[in-house]
Amino acid sequence: MKYLGKLFVGIFLSIIVIISLVPFLWVFASSFRTNGEILSGGFGFAHGLYVQNYSTAFKLAPLVAFYKNSIIVAILATVFNIAVCTMAAYVVVRCSFKAKGLITAMFSVGLIIPSAALIQPLYNTMMNTGLYNTLTALILVYTALGMPTTFYIMVSYIRTIPYTLEEAAYIDGSGFVRTFATIVLPLTRPAFATAGVIQFLLAWNEFQLALTLTGDTSKRTLPIALYYFKSAFASDYGAMFAATVVVVVPSIIVFILLQKQVISGLAAGSVKG
Amino acid sequence: MKKNRKWIVLFLLPGILLFSFIFLATLVILFGSSFTDWTIGKELSFVGLKNYINIFTEDAGFITAIKNTFIWILLQSTVHVVIGVTVALMLSRKRWYSNAVRTIFFIPNVISSAALGMLFLCTMNPQYGLLNQLISKITGEPCTTNWFLGSNSAFWTVTMTWLPYAGLVTILVMAEMSSISEDVYEAAKIDGATPLQTDFHIVLPLMRNIIGTCVVLAATSMLQKLDIIMMTTSGGPGNKTMNLPMYVYETVFTYKKFGKANAEGIVLIAVGIICLKVIRKAFKMDEED
Repeated sequence: MKYLGKLFVGIFLSIIVIISLVPFLWVFASSFRTNGEILSGGFGFAHGLYVQNYSTAFKLAPLVAFYKNSIIVAILATVFNIAVCTMAAYVVVRCSFKAKGLITAMFSVGLIIPSAALIQPLYNTMMNTGLYNTLTALILVYTALGMPTTFYIMVSYIRTIPYTLEEAAYIDGSGFVRTFATIVLPLTRPAFATAGVIQFLLAWNEFQLALTLTGDTSKRTLPIALYYFKSAFASDYGAMFAATVVVVVPSIIVFILLQKQVISGLAAGSVKG
Repeated sequence: MKKNRKWIVLFLLPGILLFSFIFLATLVILFGSSFTDWTIGKELSFVGLKNYINIFTEDAGFITAIKNTFIWILLQSTVHVVIGVTVALMLSRKRWYSNAVRTIFFIPNVISSAALGMLFLCTMNPQYGLLNQLISKITGEPCTTNWFLGSNSAFWTVTMTWLPYAGLVTILVMAEMSSISEDVYEAAKIDGATPLQTDFHIVLPLMRNIIGTCVVLAATSMLQKLDIIMMTTSGGPGNKTMNLPMYVYETVFTYKKFGKANAEGIVLIAVGIICLKVIRKAFKMDEED
């Protein structure tokens, strides 16, 4: 009985590992095969590692420009999101004012609105404000989309910071902003990492609004680049595999390097789901 | 507690502005225009509930989209969550491979869904895809099934791009499990409980809240699935894999019926809120908060 249980666990977990890893490994391996090798099937590398796929991919699609856009959007959306949420979270935790419930509700609204519902109104707003087809539009939208998660992470983290430190600063004559900047912010740094990595992944991976709020190649981010170049790559499978690898690898590296932060961020951010 | 009105307002202001611009303004447009016949190149006029009546009574595509979305919500909030929780329970006994399996299982969740769609599009390709190659090798006969475009296979092929990938559920449940004290396991062991009994009678009941959260996340994620569907089937063949987000997208960009699209958007939000309420009730999640 005991061995049967162990066998079941082994088989179940093996399937999990296989379905999670094999498609990716196969695409990764195929990105080093020639078109002929890919079409004839098989799993070897008869022509050695065919790295030309990567240069073809970069030639077929302006991947460097997409990379640049994705990096700008993800970094700025993360910085703004954390700034906006930390400031709000701080006053919600430490100050007493009437509209507290309203502010909390405001920051949580994103949780119950599927962004697909907002496609047309957002498109319309961005058109009317002249932000359509700009990276600014994406930065603003992603900053807002991440509000619920970051706000909760910040609120629960600031709650754990003892108030006595700030109290001492106030007694020494430090003002509100200075206390916030010199006492609270340094102590909040671990939460920045947690919220930041989740927010970065959100902005890096987002697809549907990037697709609807940008119009031309010069403003696209990596996920939609794959969509638009699906047809450009249609006859060059090797290049298509290479482009997919190029898009996927940064997320995986960020996750593996910052696993601890990702996990605690997901745990903290999901509590109010 | 500090009372400093000026700084309170200034600290909240960026959030309020952002909320007003991205959420409040769009929600007002969404709701208001859902009662109009808004489209391109025509004076906009008020049509009352016509859009809502239209999508529920005359629009076969919308009905299919709702039906598929509900099937996916149901599958995702049951099968998907069960897979995630099962893996969490299996990994909770701190074996040498626990962390590695957890990391690997989360990879499909951490990459862009568009890229995941691309991975599956390649893996399931009828000519050179890995799956057909493997089937051909095993059966000895060439297999050229077109998984994403076959009218019988499309729905389940799309389903398989998200149903088994419950890495997020596993991570959340494991994070919660780590808060159970070792004493609890020790006590159960002394009382003669088998590991399976411990899992079912002690661990799972303690996990009720986080499992409820996972069910909410799993169900509502089905109201966001536009990326994978656009990458793979675009809702086809013949609406077989059409869901609500994809239908809203088509109504906006293919048919340019903005009023109707926004009525669909309101339905999408309503479905989300209903899911949230029902699940929170089912898991008694409001009682302890």
